[in-house]
Amino acid sequence: MLRIVSTVSRPSSTGRLGKVVGSQHSRRTFASTSAKQADITLTVDGKEVTVPQGSALIQACEAAGATIPRFCYHERLAIAGNCRMCLVEVERSPKPVASCAMPAMPGSKVWTNTPLVHEAREGVMEFLLANHPLDCPVCDQAGECDLQDQAMRYGSDRTRFHEITGKRAVENKDLGPLVKTSMNRCIQCTRCVRFANEVAGVEELGTTGRGNDLQIGMYVEKTMDSELSGNVVDLCPVGALTSKPYAFQARPWELKNTESIDVMDALGSNIRVDSRGVQVMRIQPRTNDDVNEEWISDKTRFAYDGLRFQRLTTPLVKEGDRFVSASWEDALAAIAKGLTASGAQGDEIQAISGHLADTEAMVALKDLVNRLGSDNLALDQVGGTAPPVHGVDVRSNYLFNSTIPGVEEADAILLIGTNPRHEAAVLNSRIRKSWLHTGLEVGLIGERIDTTYGYDYLGGDANALSEFMTGKSEFAKKFKAAKKPLIIVGSAVAEHPDAAATYNALSRYVELNKSTLVTPEWNGFSILQRVASRPAAYEIGFVPSKKASTTKPKFVYLLNADEVDPKSIPQDAFVVYQGHHGDLGAQLADVCLPAAAYTEKSTTWVNTEGRSQLGRSAVPPPGASREDWKIIRALSEVVGSPLPYEDVLEIRDRMWEISPTLVRYDVTEPTSAEVALAGLKALSVRTTGAKISGAIFQKPITNFYQTDPISRASVTMAQCTRSFVKGENYGFSDIGKAPEAAFA
Amino acid sequence: MSILQAWRQAATSSVGPIRGSYTAFDRGLTTKSTSNSPKELSDIAAPAQPTRDVMVADVISGAPSQLRHRAVRVYQPTRNTMQCGQAKGDRWRIDFDILQGGGRWENPLMGWASSADYMQGTRMSFRSKEDAIHFAEKQGWDYYVQQSTVKRIPPKNYAENYLYRPGTLRIMKTK
Repeated sequence: MLRIVSTVSRPSSTGRLGKVVGSQHSRRTFASTSAKQADITLTVDGKEVTVPQGSALIQACEAAGATIPRFCYHERLAIAGNCRMCLVEVERSPKPVASCAMPAMPGSKVWTNTPLVHEAREGVMEFLLANHPLDCPVCDQAGECDLQDQAMRYGSDRTRFHEITGKRAVENKDLGPLVKTSMNRCIQCTRCVRFANEVAGVEELGTTGRGNDLQIGMYVEKTMDSELSGNVVDLCPVGALTSKPYAFQARPWELKNTESIDVMDALGSNIRVDSRGVQVMRIQPRTNDDVNEEWISDKTRFAYDGLRFQRLTTPLVKEGDRFVSASWEDALAAIAKGLTASGAQGDEIQAISGHLADTEAMVALKDLVNRLGSDNLALDQVGGTAPPVHGVDVRSNYLFNSTIPGVEEADAILLIGTNPRHEAAVLNSRIRKSWLHTGLEVGLIGERIDTTYGYDYLGGDANALSEFMTGKSEFAKKFKAAKKPLIIVGSAVAEHPDAAATYNALSRYVELNKSTLVTPEWNGFSILQRVASRPAAYEIGFVPSKKASTTKPKFVYLLNADEVDPKSIPQDAFVVYQGHHGDLGAQLADVCLPAAAYTEKSTTWVNTEGRSQLGRSAVPPPGASREDWKIIRALSEVVGSPLPYEDVLEIRDRMWEISPTLVRYDVTEPTSAEVALAGLKALSVRTTGAKISGAIFQKPITNFYQTDPISRASVTMAQCTRSFVKGENYGFSDIGKAPEAAFA
Repeated sequence: MSILQAWRQAATSSVGPIRGSYTAFDRGLTTKSTSNSPKELSDIAAPAQPTRDVMVADVISGAPSQLRHRAVRVYQPTRNTMQCGQAKGDRWRIDFDILQGGGRWENPLMGWASSADYMQGTRMSFRSKEDAIHFAEKQGWDYYVQQSTVKRIPPKNYAENYLYRPGTLRIMKTK
């Protein structure tokens, strides 16, 4: 970590009490070891600064508080050193040096603000602007453009270049329905190429030509098929790569920024929702090194237009075979009437929570259903009406225990029945990062997938796992020898016919190898959830009891449940749907209650690590729709068993009662090794004697771009499906019909 | 002398420090010094940072009383990922959650957004978290502090591009 030496550490604000009571021994910190990293000290603009050895000079300058303009250098990409904007003056150096490509040397004296430096940067800027079009007024980057900002300081107001041929003209490339290109604006910083190479794993995006003729492109007419491609829009320091759906929609200064949490997958990526008026205009990532670094997936970034279409805006009551809009009173009364008329008693009242249900709503719904005497709390997944095989008693049995940053520490990863590329695209980039920079070995059991890293294919079914456990294969030997091995089990494994056998085998394997897999420092048994609401549902125990799961429901409450099998709902049951989109669930319903989408409510989301994060409302919910938990609270009143919380603070108190981790925001609470092992022991006992059917572990997501009601309503995601999943021709390129872009 | 100043003088003289307990919200945030140098032990009597008086300003601010029922968030906005500039990154902000129902709606006349929420456009910047908390306490607002994230950027160097790695080639650089 970078730190400045010269700043005097602030005096402690420990109160009187702490000073008097605290003895010498009790004042020790938890981390008793001091940081033993080799540090070097240098002087930047007269300030002494200490940075770890091997840092780039630009990092030292930043640590000293000096602002260095840059185009090609990016903290999360490899260093290129080709824009030359970060020139600084170093003592005893004959020329200004590019601070990004220069290692910080102990004792060197650096100046970042001298006339020499300014002149050098002005020269660089002059060359950059020589070929840059003057189209800021029609450029989408204007207002948040690095080149625009830096030209204000280092740019000249007139040019010395009067070429007869004019400025360089470069053909635009077709990168698909997400990234719009305007290659005349490109300053060849190659950030997009480095991102594609290192992070996204698209090795086709690259450069051709040299010098002035250098071009960025895919070499052949081909779209950029990656689920992280939207990030090149952020990375591009100029307007060469911009967002196609957002083109000419808004200017950055018109937008209201709201920092929130994404719900398109279970990673809980940190996002910033940019809205204008009552509309979400775009979604940007928010840097958080514990979760998503600086990247978000394309579904997260571009599915926001689905929030405008197919919305439920008023309560709807089914009369005959038509929906009739009703007032809230009438709709709630209709539900109360339907509940009595259906004659549902006890476990015949079923609640199903879907993919986008927030924690508050699930807590309220569980409390309501329990108060009505039922324990029939199902999940919207295959086999969701039965208790999950891993149980919900021990957190480590269903959470991503190694944590997301922990993936980078692993030296061998076994993926079972999962495709991280589609289930958690940002996590997949971490695996790729680790695979590139360390000797990471990856093995896969399940359907063959196209990852962005190489893997040893061990087989497709649970038998392959048994074979792996015998330890004969090459990969099994490597896995056994690994210091920090990691097993990533997909959430689809729990929905598989062989779930019990697989979990049994896994828990036995982990127990046998607990010296490496489950230690106080490392828990290498991780479940990768793919649905935003699922970890929270397990956390609050939103699962049926054994008895309830066999009951035929007469009253079904669908909370954001849009993946249900229509046949699984009995014909004579009274169905209520609460959600924000008129998707599958609403079609099945007798009463629809319009609720708020994730950008419209401040609610808690628990990610696959068990990290609870607080989303934030950016825009108001449309029409008469309301926040989810408030609807359930109002309904509880109408059906005659009112819930004991009135406002959001009280319901969070209730969440604290259920599990304190639900309201400890932004942190993960690790499970101790003993508890984790006890949980696995119980799991293996419970699943003893399960037979293997030998069915292959299918990947649960066949179309990455359309997995939930929001992305299914999105036009952009439909275009992506056409272009990347179905491989249909998109846009102006007529070639590229070949099916090689067809896998997804 | 304004009414505000007069009231402040009266408040400080008669009431004294109302609340100096906002360190409770800082649990785990401020790095409490763990060294026990003699210099520190000597100033037991005087806290290093004087606890600031929380002058209750909402009594005379003229703000509607409903405003006190709304929680505000104290947070540090993250850098815009579209740009690399770090300016304004160390500020702390206070803003309000939008009002459910009454927040904004599309005006049928022009299609612009109308609002019944007088705080929807208000966003305040502060130099430090303590300043922001102090302000919220002064106004009598409930607040919660969202921790800022810790950035973990490893040391980077150019030579990394040319590092030899044993085993099969894992990346083809097209730059």
